[in-house]
Amino acid sequence: MKKLYSNKLVILSLVLPGVLLFVFAILAPICLSVYYGFTDYSGMGSYQMIGFENYRNLFTDKTFGIALRNSLLLAVGFICIQHPLALITAAVLDKLGGRGENFFRCVYFIPNVISVAVIAYLWKFIYNPDFGLLNNILKAFGGRGDTNWFDSKTAIWAVLIVLIWHGFGWGMLIYYTGIKNIDPVLYEAATIDGANQITTFLKITLPLMKPVIQVNVTMAVISALKQMETVYLLTNGGPGNSTQFTANYLYQQAFKAFRYGYGNAIGVVFIIICLAVTVGLNKVFEEPEERKLKKRKRIRAKAKGVS
Amino acid sequence: MEQAEKKKSGMTKGILWIVLLMVAVIQIFPLVWLVDFSLASSNELFTSGLLIIPKTIQWGNYVKAFVDGHFLLYLKNSILINGLAVILVVIISIMAAFACYRMRWKLSGFVKMLLLMGLMIPIHATLLPNYKIYSMLGLTDTIWALLLPYVAFSLPQALFLMTSFMESIPVELEEAAVMDGCGIYRIIFQIITPMLKSSIATVAIMTFLNNWNEFMMASTYLNSPKWKTLPFSVLEFTGQYSSNYAVQFAVMALTAAPAVLVYILLNKHITKGVAMGAVKG
Repeated sequence: MKKLYSNKLVILSLVLPGVLLFVFAILAPICLSVYYGFTDYSGMGSYQMIGFENYRNLFTDKTFGIALRNSLLLAVGFICIQHPLALITAAVLDKLGGRGENFFRCVYFIPNVISVAVIAYLWKFIYNPDFGLLNNILKAFGGRGDTNWFDSKTAIWAVLIVLIWHGFGWGMLIYYTGIKNIDPVLYEAATIDGANQITTFLKITLPLMKPVIQVNVTMAVISALKQMETVYLLTNGGPGNSTQFTANYLYQQAFKAFRYGYGNAIGVVFIIICLAVTVGLNKVFEEPEERKLKKRKRIRAKAKGVS
Repeated sequence: MEQAEKKKSGMTKGILWIVLLMVAVIQIFPLVWLVDFSLASSNELFTSGLLIIPKTIQWGNYVKAFVDGHFLLYLKNSILINGLAVILVVIISIMAAFACYRMRWKLSGFVKMLLLMGLMIPIHATLLPNYKIYSMLGLTDTIWALLLPYVAFSLPQALFLMTSFMESIPVELEEAAVMDGCGIYRIIFQIITPMLKSSIATVAIMTFLNNWNEFMMASTYLNSPKWKTLPFSVLEFTGQYSSNYAVQFAVMALTAAPAVLVYILLNKHITKGVAMGAVKG
Protein backbone atom coordinates (compact mmCIF):
# COMPACT_ATOMS: atom_id res chain seq x y z
CA MET A 1 0.00 0.00 0.00
CA LYS A 2 2.76 2.39 0.96
CA LYS A 3 4.52 1.81 -2.31
CA LEU A 4 1.34 2.42 -4.27
CA TYR A 5 0.61 5.60 -2.34
CA SER A 6 3.99 7.16 -2.89
CA ASN A 7 4.37 6.43 -6.58
CA LYS A 8 5.83 9.70 -7.86
CA LEU A 9 4.62 9.27 -11.41
CA VAL A 10 1.03 8.74 -10.34
CA ILE A 11 1.18 11.73 -8.02
CA LEU A 12 2.58 13.89 -10.77
CA SER A 13 -0.19 12.86 -13.15
CA LEU A 14 -2.79 13.71 -10.51
CA VAL A 15 -1.61 17.18 -9.54
CA LEU A 16 -0.19 18.27 -12.88
CA PRO A 17 -3.42 19.58 -14.43
CA GLY A 18 -4.15 21.70 -11.38
CA VAL A 19 -0.63 23.00 -11.05
CA LEU A 20 -0.38 23.79 -14.76
CA LEU A 21 -3.63 25.72 -14.63
CA PHE A 22 -2.43 27.63 -11.61
CA VAL A 23 0.85 28.48 -13.29
CA PHE A 24 -0.73 29.43 -16.58
CA ALA A 25 -3.76 31.39 -15.39
CA ILE A 26 -2.57 32.86 -12.10
CA LEU A 27 1.19 32.71 -11.52
CA ALA A 28 2.42 33.62 -15.00
CA PRO A 29 0.12 36.64 -15.30
CA ILE A 30 1.25 37.89 -11.89
CA CYS A 31 4.89 37.62 -12.94
CA LEU A 32 4.10 39.39 -16.18
CA SER A 33 2.34 42.13 -14.20
CA VAL A 34 5.39 42.62 -12.03
CA TYR A 35 7.49 42.94 -15.18
CA TYR A 36 5.20 45.42 -16.96
CA GLY A 37 4.79 47.34 -13.70
CA PHE A 38 8.39 48.47 -14.14
CA THR A 39 7.82 49.80 -17.68
CA ASP A 40 6.13 52.75 -19.31
CA TYR A 41 4.39 50.49 -21.82
CA SER A 42 1.27 52.07 -23.29
CA GLY A 43 -0.21 48.86 -24.63
CA MET A 44 1.36 49.03 -28.07
CA GLY A 45 4.67 50.03 -29.60
CA SER A 46 7.96 50.07 -27.76
CA TYR A 47 8.59 50.74 -24.11
CA GLN A 48 11.35 51.36 -21.59
CA MET A 49 12.16 50.09 -18.14
CA ILE A 50 11.55 52.91 -15.70
CA GLY A 51 12.26 51.27 -12.37
CA PHE A 52 9.95 52.18 -9.51
CA GLU A 53 8.56 55.28 -11.25
CA ASN A 54 5.04 53.76 -11.50
CA TYR A 55 4.99 52.83 -7.85
CA ARG A 56 6.19 56.28 -6.83
CA ASN A 57 3.38 57.82 -8.87
CA LEU A 58 0.89 55.43 -7.36
CA PHE A 59 1.60 56.62 -3.83
CA THR A 60 0.74 60.19 -4.76
CA ASP A 61 -2.20 59.20 -7.00
CA LYS A 62 -5.34 60.71 -5.48
CA THR A 63 -7.66 58.44 -7.43
CA PHE A 64 -6.00 55.35 -6.01
CA GLY A 65 -6.65 56.80 -2.56
CA ILE A 66 -10.30 57.36 -3.44
CA ALA A 67 -10.55 53.79 -4.69
CA LEU A 68 -9.22 52.41 -1.43
CA ARG A 69 -11.48 54.71 0.56
CA ASN A 70 -14.48 53.49 -1.41
CA SER A 71 -13.54 49.89 -0.71
CA LEU A 72 -13.36 50.74 2.96
CA LEU A 73 -16.75 52.47 2.81
CA LEU A 74 -18.23 49.43 1.10
CA ALA A 75 -16.74 47.08 3.67
CA VAL A 76 -18.19 49.23 6.47
CA GLY A 77 -21.53 49.23 4.65
CA PHE A 78 -21.47 45.45 4.39
CA ILE A 79 -20.50 44.96 8.02
CA CYS A 80 -22.67 47.64 9.62
CA ILE A 81 -25.78 47.49 7.42
CA GLN A 82 -25.97 44.34 5.33
CA HIS A 83 -24.76 41.80 7.85
CA PRO A 84 -26.76 42.92 10.90
CA LEU A 85 -29.89 43.00 8.73
CA ALA A 86 -29.07 39.60 7.26
CA LEU A 87 -28.39 38.10 10.67
CA ILE A 88 -31.59 39.47 12.19
CA THR A 89 -33.65 38.38 9.20
CA ALA A 90 -32.13 34.92 9.42
CA ALA A 91 -32.98 34.70 13.12
CA VAL A 92 -36.56 35.87 12.50
CA LEU A 93 -36.92 33.43 9.63
CA ASP A 94 -35.74 30.61 11.85
CA LYS A 95 -38.30 31.56 14.51
CA LEU A 96 -41.14 31.69 12.00
CA GLY A 97 -40.73 28.12 10.77
CA GLY A 98 -43.29 26.35 8.66
CA ARG A 99 -44.02 26.91 5.02
CA GLY A 100 -43.10 30.56 5.01
CA GLU A 101 -39.51 29.69 5.78
CA ASN A 102 -38.77 28.09 2.46
CA PHE A 103 -40.62 30.72 0.49
CA PHE A 104 -38.80 33.66 2.04
CA ARG A 105 -35.42 32.00 1.83
CA CYS A 106 -35.99 31.43 -1.85
CA VAL A 107 -37.17 34.99 -2.50
CA TYR A 108 -34.26 36.57 -0.64
CA PHE A 109 -31.72 34.64 -2.63
CA ILE A 110 -33.11 35.31 -6.12
CA PRO A 111 -31.16 38.55 -6.77
CA ASN A 112 -27.98 36.53 -6.24
CA VAL A 113 -28.55 34.22 -9.18
CA ILE A 114 -29.15 37.12 -11.56
CA SER A 115 -26.23 38.35 -13.62
CA VAL A 116 -24.46 41.48 -12.46
CA ALA A 117 -25.01 42.81 -15.96
CA VAL A 118 -28.78 42.69 -15.45
CA ILE A 119 -28.58 43.96 -11.87
CA ALA A 120 -26.41 46.94 -12.83
CA TYR A 121 -28.62 48.03 -15.73
CA LEU A 122 -31.76 47.40 -13.72
CA TRP A 123 -30.54 49.75 -11.00
CA LYS A 124 -29.47 52.28 -13.59
CA PHE A 125 -33.12 52.37 -14.56
CA ILE A 126 -34.28 52.42 -10.95
CA TYR A 127 -32.14 55.53 -10.42
CA ASN A 128 -33.20 57.03 -13.75
CA PRO A 129 -34.35 60.64 -13.23
CA ASP A 130 -37.13 60.41 -15.85
CA PHE A 131 -38.94 57.14 -15.22
CA GLY A 132 -36.92 55.58 -12.41
CA LEU A 133 -38.62 53.60 -9.69
CA LEU A 134 -36.94 55.46 -6.85
CA ASN A 135 -38.07 58.90 -7.90
CA ASN A 136 -41.58 57.56 -8.50
CA ILE A 137 -41.64 56.20 -4.98
CA LEU A 138 -40.53 59.59 -3.66
CA LYS A 139 -43.32 61.21 -5.69
CA ALA A 140 -45.84 58.81 -4.20
CA PHE A 141 -44.78 60.06 -0.78
CA GLY A 142 -45.15 63.69 -1.85
CA GLY A 143 -41.54 64.39 -2.78
CA ARG A 144 -40.45 66.24 -5.93
CA GLY A 145 -38.93 63.14 -7.40
CA ASP A 146 -36.36 64.74 -9.66
CA THR A 147 -33.26 63.74 -7.75
CA ASN A 148 -30.18 62.96 -9.78
CA TRP A 149 -28.84 59.99 -7.83
CA PHE A 150 -25.57 59.88 -9.72
CA ASP A 151 -24.51 63.33 -8.60
CA SER A 152 -20.82 63.43 -7.65
CA LYS A 153 -21.77 63.59 -3.97
CA THR A 154 -24.45 60.92 -3.87
CA ALA A 155 -23.18 58.51 -6.53
CA ILE A 156 -21.07 56.47 -4.14
CA TRP A 157 -24.09 55.92 -1.87
CA ALA A 158 -26.17 54.90 -4.86
CA VAL A 159 -23.52 52.31 -5.71
CA LEU A 160 -23.29 51.08 -2.12
CA ILE A 161 -27.04 50.55 -1.93
CA VAL A 162 -26.98 48.35 -5.03
CA LEU A 163 -24.12 46.23 -3.70
CA ILE A 164 -25.65 45.86 -0.26
CA TRP A 165 -28.98 44.91 -1.82
CA HIS A 166 -27.46 42.40 -4.22
CA GLY A 167 -25.39 40.52 -1.65
CA PHE A 168 -28.04 40.46 1.06
CA GLY A 169 -29.44 37.01 0.21
CA TRP A 170 -26.04 35.38 0.26
CA GLY A 171 -25.21 36.68 3.73
CA MET A 172 -28.70 35.81 4.94
CA LEU A 173 -28.38 32.24 3.72
CA ILE A 174 -25.06 31.67 5.47
CA TYR A 175 -26.31 33.10 8.77
CA TYR A 176 -29.49 31.08 8.38
CA THR A 177 -27.51 27.84 7.96
CA GLY A 178 -25.41 28.77 10.98
CA ILE A 179 -28.50 29.37 13.12
CA LYS A 180 -30.01 26.08 11.98
CA ASN A 181 -26.92 24.31 13.25
CA ILE A 182 -27.47 25.61 16.78
CA ASP A 183 -28.75 22.90 19.10
CA PRO A 184 -32.48 23.57 19.74
CA VAL A 185 -32.09 22.20 23.26
CA LEU A 186 -30.32 25.45 24.15
CA TYR A 187 -33.35 27.47 23.12
CA GLU A 188 -35.67 25.20 25.07
CA ALA A 189 -33.53 25.65 28.15
CA ALA A 190 -33.62 29.40 27.68
CA THR A 191 -37.41 29.39 27.38
CA ILE A 192 -37.73 27.33 30.55
CA ASP A 193 -35.51 29.84 32.31
CA GLY A 194 -37.93 32.53 31.21
CA ALA A 195 -35.67 34.35 28.74
CA ASN A 196 -37.54 36.35 26.10
CA GLN A 197 -36.79 36.30 22.40
CA ILE A 198 -34.43 39.25 22.41
CA THR A 199 -32.34 37.97 25.33
CA THR A 200 -32.19 34.55 23.70
CA PHE A 201 -30.91 36.15 20.50
CA LEU A 202 -28.29 38.22 22.33
CA LYS A 203 -27.17 35.58 24.81
CA ILE A 204 -27.40 32.37 22.77
CA THR A 205 -27.63 33.01 19.04
CA LEU A 206 -25.03 35.76 18.77
CA PRO A 207 -22.23 34.12 20.81
CA LEU A 208 -22.70 30.76 19.09
CA MET A 209 -22.68 32.44 15.68
CA LYS A 210 -19.33 34.09 16.30
CA PRO A 211 -17.30 31.84 13.98
CA VAL A 212 -19.86 32.22 11.18
CA ILE A 213 -19.88 35.99 11.66
CA GLN A 214 -16.10 36.07 11.49
CA VAL A 215 -15.99 34.12 8.24
CA ASN A 216 -18.70 36.34 6.81
CA VAL A 217 -16.95 39.55 7.83
CA THR A 218 -13.69 38.37 6.27
CA MET A 219 -15.47 37.56 3.05
CA ALA A 220 -17.27 40.92 3.09
CA VAL A 221 -14.06 42.90 3.44
CA ILE A 222 -12.39 40.95 0.66
CA SER A 223 -15.32 41.23 -1.70
CA ALA A 224 -15.42 44.97 -0.99
CA LEU A 225 -11.77 45.18 -2.02
CA LYS A 226 -12.31 43.11 -5.15
CA GLN A 227 -15.46 44.92 -6.26
CA MET A 228 -15.46 45.72 -9.95
CA GLU A 229 -18.31 44.47 -12.15
CA THR A 230 -21.20 46.42 -10.70
CA VAL A 231 -19.29 49.67 -10.55
CA TYR A 232 -17.91 49.16 -14.05
CA LEU A 233 -21.42 49.01 -15.50
CA LEU A 234 -23.21 51.36 -13.12
CA THR A 235 -20.95 54.40 -13.07
CA ASN A 236 -17.58 53.25 -14.40
CA GLY A 237 -16.01 55.14 -11.53
CA GLY A 238 -17.66 58.45 -12.35
CA PRO A 239 -18.69 61.18 -12.04
CA GLY A 240 -15.14 62.40 -11.72
CA ASN A 241 -13.56 59.50 -9.90
CA SER A 242 -15.99 59.61 -7.01
CA THR A 243 -17.07 55.96 -7.30
CA GLN A 244 -13.73 54.54 -8.39
CA PHE A 245 -12.64 51.09 -7.17
CA THR A 246 -9.16 49.64 -7.51
CA ALA A 247 -9.92 46.92 -10.04
CA ASN A 248 -11.92 49.31 -12.19
CA TYR A 249 -9.20 51.92 -12.00
CA LEU A 250 -6.42 49.60 -13.16
CA TYR A 251 -8.61 48.46 -16.03
CA GLN A 252 -9.30 52.05 -17.08
CA GLN A 253 -5.66 53.04 -16.83
CA ALA A 254 -4.58 50.14 -19.03
CA PHE A 255 -7.29 50.08 -21.68
CA LYS A 256 -8.71 53.64 -21.71
CA ALA A 257 -5.82 55.85 -20.65
CA PHE A 258 -3.27 53.62 -22.44
CA ARG A 259 -1.03 53.39 -19.40
CA TYR A 260 -0.70 49.63 -19.49
CA GLY A 261 2.48 49.64 -17.42
CA TYR A 262 0.91 51.81 -14.75
CA GLY A 263 -2.21 49.60 -14.73
CA ASN A 264 -0.04 46.57 -14.04
CA ALA A 265 1.73 48.37 -11.22
CA ILE A 266 -1.69 49.03 -9.66
CA GLY A 267 -2.47 45.35 -10.17
CA VAL A 268 0.65 44.28 -8.28
CA VAL A 269 -0.11 46.56 -5.34
CA PHE A 270 -3.74 45.40 -5.48
CA ILE A 271 -2.69 41.75 -5.15
CA ILE A 272 -0.38 42.57 -2.26
CA ILE A 273 -3.17 44.45 -0.46
CA CYS A 274 -5.61 41.54 -0.94
CA LEU A 275 -3.09 39.00 0.35
CA ALA A 276 -2.19 41.18 3.32
CA VAL A 277 -5.80 41.83 4.28
CA THR A 278 -6.79 38.15 3.99
CA VAL A 279 -3.85 36.96 6.04
CA GLY A 280 -4.29 39.78 8.55
CA LEU A 281 -8.00 39.15 9.11
CA ASN A 282 -7.42 35.42 9.50
CA LYS A 283 -4.77 36.12 12.12
CA VAL A 284 -6.99 38.52 14.02
CA PHE A 285 -9.94 36.15 14.06
CA GLU A 286 -8.32 32.77 14.40
CA GLU A 287 -5.73 33.35 17.04
CA PRO A 288 -7.80 33.29 20.22
CA GLU A 289 -9.62 30.15 19.07
CA GLU A 290 -6.50 28.34 18.05
CA ARG A 291 -4.71 29.35 21.18
CA LYS A 292 -7.55 27.84 23.17
CA LEU A 293 -7.37 24.64 21.15
CA LYS A 294 -3.64 24.37 21.66
CA LYS A 295 -4.07 24.99 25.39
CA ARG A 296 -6.71 22.28 25.59
CA LYS A 297 -4.46 19.87 23.76
CA ARG A 298 -1.63 20.61 26.17
CA ILE A 299 -3.88 20.05 29.18
CA ARG A 300 -5.14 16.80 27.71
CA ALA A 301 -1.61 15.61 27.07
CA LYS A 302 -0.70 16.41 30.65
CA ALA A 303 -3.73 14.56 31.97
CA LYS A 304 -2.80 11.56 29.90
CA GLY A 305 0.71 11.67 31.24
CA VAL A 306 -0.59 11.68 34.83
CA SER A 307 -2.97 8.78 34.35
CA MET B 1 -53.81 33.93 31.18
CA GLU B 2 -53.10 31.25 28.65
CA GLN B 3 -55.30 33.06 26.21
CA ALA B 4 -53.43 36.30 26.73
CA GLU B 5 -50.18 34.51 26.08
CA LYS B 6 -51.56 32.95 22.93
CA LYS B 7 -52.67 36.35 21.77
CA LYS B 8 -49.25 37.76 22.46
CA SER B 9 -47.45 35.02 20.56
CA GLY B 10 -49.92 35.50 17.72
CA MET B 11 -49.07 39.16 17.63
CA THR B 12 -45.31 38.62 17.63
CA LYS B 13 -45.79 36.11 14.85
CA GLY B 14 -47.74 38.73 12.93
CA ILE B 15 -44.98 41.30 13.41
CA LEU B 16 -42.36 38.78 12.30
CA TRP B 17 -44.36 38.08 9.16
CA ILE B 18 -44.60 41.78 8.37
CA VAL B 19 -40.85 42.27 8.83
CA LEU B 20 -40.06 39.33 6.58
CA LEU B 21 -42.57 40.47 3.99
CA MET B 22 -41.04 43.94 3.93
CA VAL B 23 -37.57 42.52 3.33
CA ALA B 24 -39.01 40.27 0.64
CA VAL B 25 -40.64 43.24 -1.08
CA ILE B 26 -37.36 45.16 -1.06
CA GLN B 27 -35.53 42.19 -2.55
CA ILE B 28 -38.08 41.23 -5.16
CA PHE B 29 -39.98 44.37 -6.13
CA PRO B 30 -37.25 45.70 -8.46
CA LEU B 31 -37.59 42.46 -10.41
CA VAL B 32 -41.37 42.70 -10.54
CA TRP B 33 -40.95 46.25 -11.77
CA LEU B 34 -38.51 45.01 -14.41
CA VAL B 35 -40.92 42.43 -15.77
CA ASP B 36 -43.83 44.86 -15.63
CA PHE B 37 -42.01 47.58 -17.58
CA SER B 38 -40.75 45.04 -20.10
CA LEU B 39 -44.33 44.37 -21.17
CA ALA B 40 -45.24 48.00 -21.80
CA SER B 41 -44.50 50.19 -24.78
CA SER B 42 -41.71 52.72 -24.49
CA ASN B 43 -44.11 55.67 -24.36
CA GLU B 44 -45.92 54.25 -21.39
CA LEU B 45 -42.78 54.13 -19.25
CA PHE B 46 -42.86 57.82 -18.39
CA THR B 47 -45.52 57.63 -15.73
CA SER B 48 -45.37 58.61 -12.12
CA GLY B 49 -47.04 55.39 -10.97
CA LEU B 50 -44.98 52.58 -9.53
CA LEU B 51 -46.29 49.94 -11.92
CA ILE B 52 -47.84 50.22 -15.34
CA ILE B 53 -50.87 48.44 -16.62
CA PRO B 54 -49.98 48.31 -20.31
CA LYS B 55 -52.83 48.96 -22.77
CA THR B 56 -51.75 46.00 -24.84
CA ILE B 57 -49.11 43.62 -23.62
CA GLN B 58 -46.07 44.15 -25.82
CA TRP B 59 -44.78 40.65 -26.47
CA GLY B 60 -42.94 42.20 -29.38
CA ASN B 61 -40.37 43.53 -26.93
CA TYR B 62 -39.41 39.99 -26.12
CA VAL B 63 -39.27 38.94 -29.76
CA LYS B 64 -36.86 41.80 -30.45
CA ALA B 65 -34.82 40.91 -27.38
CA PHE B 66 -34.73 37.25 -28.36
CA VAL B 67 -33.64 37.86 -31.95
CA ASP B 68 -31.42 40.93 -31.71
CA GLY B 69 -29.92 39.90 -28.38
CA HIS B 70 -28.58 36.68 -29.95
CA PHE B 71 -30.30 35.00 -27.04
CA LEU B 72 -30.06 31.41 -28.28
CA LEU B 73 -26.42 31.60 -29.36
CA TYR B 74 -25.29 33.22 -26.12
CA LEU B 75 -27.37 30.85 -24.02
CA LYS B 76 -25.83 27.89 -25.83
CA ASN B 77 -22.32 29.31 -25.27
CA SER B 78 -23.02 29.93 -21.60
CA ILE B 79 -24.31 26.41 -21.07
CA LEU B 80 -21.45 24.82 -23.00
CA ILE B 81 -18.65 26.82 -21.37
CA ASN B 82 -20.07 26.51 -17.86
CA GLY B 83 -20.82 22.83 -18.28
CA LEU B 84 -17.27 22.11 -19.43
CA ALA B 85 -15.83 24.26 -16.67
CA VAL B 86 -17.82 22.38 -14.03
CA ILE B 87 -16.73 18.97 -15.34
CA LEU B 88 -13.07 20.01 -15.49
CA VAL B 89 -13.13 21.63 -12.07
CA VAL B 90 -14.69 18.55 -10.48
CA ILE B 91 -12.26 16.07 -12.06
CA ILE B 92 -9.13 18.13 -11.51
CA SER B 93 -10.04 19.02 -7.94
CA ILE B 94 -10.77 15.41 -6.98
CA MET B 95 -7.45 14.27 -8.44
CA ALA B 96 -5.47 17.04 -6.78
CA ALA B 97 -7.29 16.66 -3.47
CA PHE B 98 -6.58 12.93 -3.39
CA ALA B 99 -2.93 13.43 -4.24
CA CYS B 100 -2.43 16.19 -1.68
CA TYR B 101 -4.47 14.71 1.09
CA ARG B 102 -4.13 10.93 0.84
CA MET B 103 -0.88 10.20 -0.92
CA ARG B 104 2.53 10.44 0.68
CA TRP B 105 5.08 12.77 -0.82
CA LYS B 106 7.23 15.58 0.45
CA LEU B 107 5.74 18.53 -1.38
CA SER B 108 2.07 17.71 -0.79
CA GLY B 109 1.61 20.49 1.74
CA PHE B 110 3.38 23.03 -0.41
CA VAL B 111 1.44 22.20 -3.57
CA LYS B 112 -1.85 22.29 -1.70
CA MET B 113 -1.01 25.70 -0.26
CA LEU B 114 0.06 26.92 -3.67
CA LEU B 115 -3.21 25.87 -5.27
CA LEU B 116 -5.24 27.37 -2.43
CA MET B 117 -3.40 30.69 -2.85
CA GLY B 118 -5.66 31.31 -5.80
CA LEU B 119 -8.47 32.05 -3.31
CA MET B 120 -6.73 35.23 -2.27
CA ILE B 121 -5.70 36.55 -5.68
CA PRO B 122 -8.14 39.14 -7.06
CA ILE B 123 -9.33 37.90 -10.45
CA HIS B 124 -9.38 41.36 -11.93
CA ALA B 125 -5.70 41.92 -11.33
CA THR B 126 -4.99 39.19 -13.89
CA LEU B 127 -7.13 40.80 -16.59
CA LEU B 128 -4.33 42.92 -18.02
CA PRO B 129 -1.51 40.35 -18.16
CA ASN B 130 -3.82 37.53 -19.25
CA TYR B 131 -5.06 39.66 -22.12
CA LYS B 132 -1.46 40.04 -23.23
CA ILE B 133 -0.73 36.33 -22.84
CA TYR B 134 -3.84 35.24 -24.71
CA SER B 135 -3.22 37.60 -27.58
CA MET B 136 0.39 36.43 -27.83
CA LEU B 137 -0.72 32.81 -27.95
CA GLY B 138 -3.62 33.55 -30.28
CA LEU B 139 -6.15 32.40 -27.73
CA THR B 140 -8.33 35.50 -27.75
CA ASP B 141 -11.73 34.87 -29.26
CA THR B 142 -11.45 31.14 -28.59
CA ILE B 143 -13.30 29.10 -26.01
CA TRP B 144 -10.00 28.58 -24.15
CA ALA B 145 -9.78 32.25 -23.23
CA LEU B 146 -12.81 31.73 -21.00
CA LEU B 147 -12.46 28.10 -20.04
CA LEU B 148 -8.91 28.34 -18.69
CA PRO B 149 -9.41 31.24 -16.27
CA TYR B 150 -12.87 30.01 -15.23
CA VAL B 151 -11.49 26.62 -14.28
CA ALA B 152 -8.34 28.05 -12.71
CA PHE B 153 -10.20 30.48 -10.48
CA SER B 154 -12.84 27.96 -9.42
CA LEU B 155 -10.24 25.32 -8.61
CA PRO B 156 -8.97 26.61 -5.22
CA GLN B 157 -12.40 26.62 -3.62
CA ALA B 158 -13.22 23.25 -5.17
CA LEU B 159 -9.98 21.77 -3.89
CA PHE B 160 -10.69 23.14 -0.44
CA LEU B 161 -14.17 21.61 -0.36
CA MET B 162 -13.01 18.28 -1.74
CA THR B 163 -10.23 17.88 0.81
CA SER B 164 -12.52 18.76 3.70
CA PHE B 165 -15.05 16.14 2.53
CA MET B 166 -12.40 13.56 1.82
CA GLU B 167 -11.35 13.66 5.47
CA SER B 168 -14.61 11.95 6.39
CA ILE B 169 -14.03 8.94 4.12
CA PRO B 170 -12.47 6.07 6.08
CA VAL B 171 -9.06 4.92 4.86
CA GLU B 172 -9.98 1.28 5.49
CA LEU B 173 -12.10 1.27 2.35
CA GLU B 174 -9.07 2.09 0.26
CA GLU B 175 -6.94 -0.45 2.05
CA ALA B 176 -9.43 -3.14 1.13
CA ALA B 177 -9.39 -1.95 -2.48
CA VAL B 178 -5.61 -2.09 -2.56
CA MET B 179 -5.72 -5.65 -1.26
CA ASP B 180 -7.99 -6.51 -4.15
CA GLY B 181 -5.39 -5.11 -6.50
CA CYS B 182 -7.00 -1.79 -7.41
CA GLY B 183 -4.75 0.89 -8.92
CA ILE B 184 -4.81 4.48 -7.73
CA TYR B 185 -6.90 5.73 -10.63
CA ARG B 186 -9.54 3.09 -10.02
CA ILE B 187 -9.58 3.91 -6.33
CA ILE B 188 -10.14 7.57 -7.10
CA PHE B 189 -12.79 7.26 -9.76
CA GLN B 190 -14.61 4.11 -8.70
CA ILE B 191 -14.42 4.24 -4.92
CA ILE B 192 -13.79 7.80 -3.78
CA THR B 193 -15.74 9.74 -6.40
CA PRO B 194 -19.11 8.04 -5.79
CA MET B 195 -18.74 8.77 -2.09
CA LEU B 196 -18.12 12.45 -2.74
CA LYS B 197 -21.51 12.92 -4.41
CA SER B 198 -22.75 15.71 -2.15
CA SER B 199 -19.50 17.63 -2.31
CA ILE B 200 -19.41 17.26 -6.08
CA ALA B 201 -22.87 18.79 -6.17
CA THR B 202 -21.67 21.65 -3.97
CA VAL B 203 -18.60 22.27 -6.11
CA ALA B 204 -20.66 22.12 -9.29
CA ILE B 205 -23.20 24.62 -7.97
CA MET B 206 -20.59 27.06 -6.68
CA THR B 207 -18.60 26.87 -9.92
CA PHE B 208 -21.71 27.34 -12.00
CA LEU B 209 -22.98 30.30 -9.96
CA ASN B 210 -19.59 32.02 -10.01
CA ASN B 211 -19.01 31.67 -13.72
CA TRP B 212 -22.51 31.87 -15.17
CA ASN B 213 -22.73 35.60 -14.58
CA GLU B 214 -19.11 36.46 -15.29
CA PHE B 215 -18.57 39.00 -18.05
CA MET B 216 -15.47 41.02 -17.20
CA MET B 217 -13.04 38.40 -18.54
CA ALA B 218 -15.36 37.57 -21.39
CA SER B 219 -15.55 41.16 -22.56
CA THR B 220 -11.78 41.56 -22.27
CA TYR B 221 -10.74 38.37 -24.05
CA LEU B 222 -13.48 38.13 -26.69
CA ASN B 223 -14.25 40.33 -29.67
CA SER B 224 -16.50 38.37 -31.98
CA PRO B 225 -19.87 37.01 -30.92
CA LYS B 226 -18.77 33.42 -31.50
CA TRP B 227 -18.19 32.48 -27.84
CA LYS B 228 -19.88 35.36 -26.06
CA THR B 229 -22.02 34.41 -23.09
CA LEU B 230 -25.45 35.40 -21.90
CA PRO B 231 -24.60 38.68 -20.11
CA PHE B 232 -23.62 40.06 -23.52
CA SER B 233 -27.24 40.07 -24.61
CA VAL B 234 -27.71 42.87 -22.10
CA LEU B 235 -24.35 44.58 -22.60
CA GLU B 236 -24.67 44.87 -26.36
CA PHE B 237 -28.30 45.82 -26.33
CA THR B 238 -27.99 49.07 -24.45
CA GLY B 239 -25.98 50.53 -27.30
CA GLN B 240 -28.19 49.17 -30.04
CA TYR B 241 -31.55 50.20 -28.58
CA SER B 242 -30.33 53.10 -26.50
CA SER B 243 -33.65 54.96 -26.67
CA ASN B 244 -36.05 52.03 -26.76
CA TYR B 245 -36.18 51.44 -23.04
CA ALA B 246 -38.99 48.90 -23.02
CA VAL B 247 -37.00 46.51 -25.21
CA GLN B 248 -34.03 46.94 -22.88
CA PHE B 249 -36.24 45.93 -19.99
CA ALA B 250 -37.31 42.88 -21.98
CA VAL B 251 -33.77 41.75 -22.76
CA MET B 252 -32.84 42.07 -19.11
CA ALA B 253 -35.81 40.01 -17.98
CA LEU B 254 -35.08 37.44 -20.67
CA THR B 255 -31.41 36.96 -19.76
CA ALA B 256 -32.22 36.75 -16.07
CA ALA B 257 -34.91 34.15 -16.68
CA PRO B 258 -32.87 30.93 -17.19
CA ALA B 259 -30.92 31.30 -13.95
CA VAL B 260 -33.99 32.27 -11.95
CA LEU B 261 -36.04 29.37 -13.36
CA VAL B 262 -33.30 26.86 -12.65
CA TYR B 263 -32.91 28.29 -9.18
CA ILE B 264 -36.61 28.00 -8.40
CA LEU B 265 -36.68 24.42 -9.69
CA LEU B 266 -33.55 23.30 -7.85
CA ASN B 267 -33.90 25.73 -4.99
CA LYS B 268 -33.45 23.15 -2.23
CA HIS B 269 -30.28 21.64 -3.69
CA ILE B 270 -28.76 25.01 -4.53
CA THR B 271 -29.49 26.41 -1.09
CA LYS B 272 -27.90 23.37 0.49
CA GLY B 273 -24.91 23.53 -1.84
CA VAL B 274 -24.25 27.21 -1.27
CA ALA B 275 -24.68 26.87 2.46
CA MET B 276 -22.29 23.93 2.61
CA GLY B 277 -19.78 25.64 0.38
CA ALA B 278 -19.89 28.87 2.30
CA VAL B 279 -19.72 27.35 5.76
CA LYS B 280 -16.82 25.08 4.87
CA GLY B 281 -15.10 27.72 2.75
